[in-house]
Amino acid sequence: MLNSMLKEKRSAEIEQILAKYPPERKRSAVMPLLYLVQEEYGYCTDDGMREVAEICGIDPTEVKSVAGFYSMYRKHAAGKYVIEVCDDLPCVLRGADKFIDYAEQKLGIKAGETTQDGKITLTTVMCLAACDRAPMCQVNLNYHYDLTPEKFDQLVDELKKRDE
Amino acid sequence: MADLVNVTIDGVAVAVPKGTLVVDAAKKLGNDIPVFCYHPKLKPVGMCRMCLVDVGTPKVDPATKQVVKDDAGNVVIAWMPKLTTGCTTPVSEGMAVRTATQQVKDAREDVLEFLLTSHPLDCPVCDKGGECPLQNLTLAHGPGQSRFDYEAKQHNDKHVPLGDLIFLDRERCIQCARCIRFQDDIADDHVLQFFERGRHMEIMTLSEPGFDSYFSGNTTDICPVGALTSADFRFKARPWELDAAQSVCNHCPVGCNTTLNTRLETKTGGREIKRVMPRQNEQVNEIWLCDKGRFVHHYTRADDKLTQPMVRRDGKLVEATWDQAFGVIAERVRAAESVAGVIGDRIANEDAFAVARAVRSTGKGSVSMSPAISAAYADIVRACGVGAATDLKQIGKGDVILVVNADVEEQAPVWFLRLRQAAVDRGAKLVVAHHRSTKMHRYAAQIMRYEIGGIDAWVADSAKLLPDLTAARNVLIAFGDEKLDAPAARSLAQHLANLLIDSGHAGKANSGLLAMYPHGNTQGVFDVTAPMPAVAEAGVVWAVGVGDRADLPQASFLVVQDVVMTELASQADVVLPASSFAERDGSYTSGDRRVQRFYRALPAAGQARPDWWIAQEVARKLGAEWRYEGAGQIFADIVTQIPGYASLSYEALAKGEEQWPPMGRGDLYYGGTVYDNEGGLGVRYVAEAEVGTVVRYEVGAPIAALSGLERPERMLYQDGELIRRSHVMASHVVKPAVA
Repeated sequence: MLNSMLKEKRSAEIEQILAKYPPERKRSAVMPLLYLVQEEYGYCTDDGMREVAEICGIDPTEVKSVAGFYSMYRKHAAGKYVIEVCDDLPCVLRGADKFIDYAEQKLGIKAGETTQDGKITLTTVMCLAACDRAPMCQVNLNYHYDLTPEKFDQLVDELKKRDE
Repeated sequence: MADLVNVTIDGVAVAVPKGTLVVDAAKKLGNDIPVFCYHPKLKPVGMCRMCLVDVGTPKVDPATKQVVKDDAGNVVIAWMPKLTTGCTTPVSEGMAVRTATQQVKDAREDVLEFLLTSHPLDCPVCDKGGECPLQNLTLAHGPGQSRFDYEAKQHNDKHVPLGDLIFLDRERCIQCARCIRFQDDIADDHVLQFFERGRHMEIMTLSEPGFDSYFSGNTTDICPVGALTSADFRFKARPWELDAAQSVCNHCPVGCNTTLNTRLETKTGGREIKRVMPRQNEQVNEIWLCDKGRFVHHYTRADDKLTQPMVRRDGKLVEATWDQAFGVIAERVRAAESVAGVIGDRIANEDAFAVARAVRSTGKGSVSMSPAISAAYADIVRACGVGAATDLKQIGKGDVILVVNADVEEQAPVWFLRLRQAAVDRGAKLVVAHHRSTKMHRYAAQIMRYEIGGIDAWVADSAKLLPDLTAARNVLIAFGDEKLDAPAARSLAQHLANLLIDSGHAGKANSGLLAMYPHGNTQGVFDVTAPMPAVAEAGVVWAVGVGDRADLPQASFLVVQDVVMTELASQADVVLPASSFAERDGSYTSGDRRVQRFYRALPAAGQARPDWWIAQEVARKLGAEWRYEGAGQIFADIVTQIPGYASLSYEALAKGEEQWPPMGRGDLYYGGTVYDNEGGLGVRYVAEAEVGTVVRYEVGAPIAALSGLERPERMLYQDGELIRRSHVMASHVVKPAVA
C-alpha cells in the first residue's frame, strides 16, 4: 500500500510545483518534490520517493536514481537541521578544521552524527563556493559566513530555540 | 538500399549504409573493436571507453571548400586530436579509422586497467567465468599487470537480490548500463537505475516486488561481467561443463529459439537442464527470452515426473509394464463404442499427428484439441495469418498494428517487445482495442475501449478504421480470445480477416493475423490433427498432454498421457509416461506459422517415451500395421498429408543463415552468453490467402457472447502444472482471477 501522507499534508505546495510544468511533463517536478519529501521526512525515504513517483507518473526506481545522483538529497535519516561545513583546502587554510573541532565539541557529536534530540546533524562537505568567507557552513538552505566559536554558539542556540 | 558511405579502416576500404557506427563498420570487415557498454541491440552511450579509436576525415580547405590532396594526389586526412569512441561515431564519407596504432593499444590497456582496479579476482568462482567478455577482452587487450595496489580494491556487497530471480554482485559491476538500457529501451520496465555517482555508483531497484519485469533474465545474458546472475543458475555449474542442445520454447505462440544447457549430475545420477538460454534468431526472438521461457523448465526433472506406465487396480494406480498398459487400453478400446482423443496444444507436431492417426485407426475415434477454443479460429489464421515473408523488423512508418482483445505482453511476451519497437522506434501506428488497460496502451496512437462483453460494439465501430487500414503500407492484427466463447472467438477472427481482405492486405508479406494462442504448438496441433469439436462423452477418453485442463468428454475409461503427475492423471485409469520436449526431437509450429525443429537434450527419464511412440504402440496393439522409427519419418508423412506443409522438410527447417549482428557466444566481441543458431531458423509456411483467392467470411455467431465471460484473462505466470514445478517462480505464480 502506498501511503499518501505527502499529498495530504502538502497538497497546496504539490499543486504549486506541478503548476510550473506542462501536464504532460509532470516528471520534471521530480526534483522540487524530492525537496518536499526531504523537508517532510528528514531525508528521501523509500515511501516518500514512491509517492513522488506516483505524483510524477514515473517509476520509483527513476526517482531514487535522481535522489542518488545529487548530493544534496539526503539518503539517510538526519536531524531537522543539517549543518554542513566545508573542509576543502582553501577553507582549511582559513581555519575550517579548527572550527569543525569546535563544532564537534560544542554539539557533543562527531561529524556525520546527529545530536541525541534528533535536531542537529553535523557533516563536512566539499566546496560550497564561499572560500573567501571561510570558515563557513550551510544550515539546510542558508549560508553562514566568517564563523567564530561565538557565532556558532549563537547559531546553535537559535536553532534549538526555533521550534520551542 | 540506403545511401552507402565509403570509409577506410586500417587501410581497408568498405562501403556501409549511412548512419552505421564505426564499430559496426569495422565488424563488417572482421575487425573487432572491443566493447563493453556498446550492444548492437541497444542505443550507444559511449560509457566504458573501451572502443576508443583514431578517427579522421578528409581535410577541407576552408577557402575553397575543396578536399586537400597531397603531391601524390592522395586525400589528406585530418586526424582528430584525440581518440574517439567508435560506438558513438557514425561513419561519414571518406572517413579513415585506425584501430591498431600504439595510441589505441595504450588506450585499451588503460581502460582495462581502470576497469579492473576494483573488480574482484573471483573468476574461479564466478558464474560468468568462461563466457565473460571482461575475461576475453582482458586477455586480448589487457595490460597483463596492474599498477594499482591490490589492497586498495573497493569492497562492495556481493549478493544483492534485485528481485527473487536476479542477484547483483556490486564488486563485479563495471557500470556499463546495459541492463538499465535494456530495461528502459527494450522492455520498457524502468526498474533498474544507477544510484549515487563516481566510485559509489551502483545498480539498484525500487520496484515492488524487486526487479519487476517479465524480461529480467535477459540482463544476465547481456551483462558483460558476472554482476547479474539468475537465482536459478548461480553457483550451479561452470559454463564449460555444460552441453548445449538447440531447442524451442513451447510456452507461448512466439516459439522463441532456445538452447538447453545440460550437465550430468552425480547427485541425481542423471542429466539435468541447468539453464535455458536464448539462441539467436533475428526472425523470431532476436536474442531475447521472457522469464517464463527461461525459468519454467524444472518440470522436465520434477520429482513427480512420470517414468513408468501405471494402471488402476483395486482403485489404486500401480506401476505396470508398457505391454500391460497397452493390453488394458486395447481391451477397453475394443469393448468401447467410441474413443475420444483429446490432444493438448503443447505437444510436438509429430506427436499430435501420430496420436490422431492412432485414434482414427480404431475406426470409432474422434479427435479434439485442448484448449478447444483455439480450434474455433485456427483455420482462419492459417488462411489470413501473416504472409510467409513477414519480418517484424520491417514493420514501421506507414504501417498499422491493430491489437484487439489481446494482452500481448502477458500472452506473447517477445512479440510484445517486437511490436513495441515497431511502434515506438520505427513509427508504426498502433491501435489498441481492449476492455481493460494493457501495457500496449502506453504506445497506442488510438485507443478503442469497450465494456467487458461488449466487443460487438467495437466490431460495429471498427468499420471506421477501414480508410486508415486501406491507406496503410502493411496491416498486422494481433488478437486474442479473452472473455469470448468459441463461436464468438471465431466470429471475431472472421471479422478481423474481413478487415484485412477489405483493406487489401490479406495474404501479403508483413500483413495478416497474429493469434495469441495459449501455447507453443496450438497452430501445429490444429494443422496436423484436423480436430473436431469435443464429443460430450465417450467410452474411452485418451488425453494426451492436456495438463490439468478439465474440458474433457465424460469418460467411462480415462487414459492420461503426460509428462508429470497432474491432478487429471491421478484420476485416470491408465497413466502413460510421455517424454518431455527436452527428451526427444520434434517440431513446433509457432503462432505465426513458423515450423521449427527442436532437438533432444536429455535422455529419457525411466520408461518415458515420446508421445508418438506411445500412440503408435497403442495402435499396433489394436492391429495397426504402421510404424515410425523417429520423428523425422513422421514429419515426412506430415509433409505429404497436411495441406500447407507440402513445401517443408526436416532439412529445410534445420537450415541456418548468418545472423547479423553476430551476438552468439562464438563471437568474442559482441557475443554475450547467447547461443549461435545451429539448429535452423525454421520455415514459415505459406498462408492460404497468399496462393488462393480470398473470400470474405460470413460472420456467423454474434461476437459478444456472454457465455465466455467467466473465462479468466490469460496471464503469463498463470498457475499451471508446469510453472508450479519451478520453485524459483513460486512467488510469481498468479491464480486465475475471474472478473
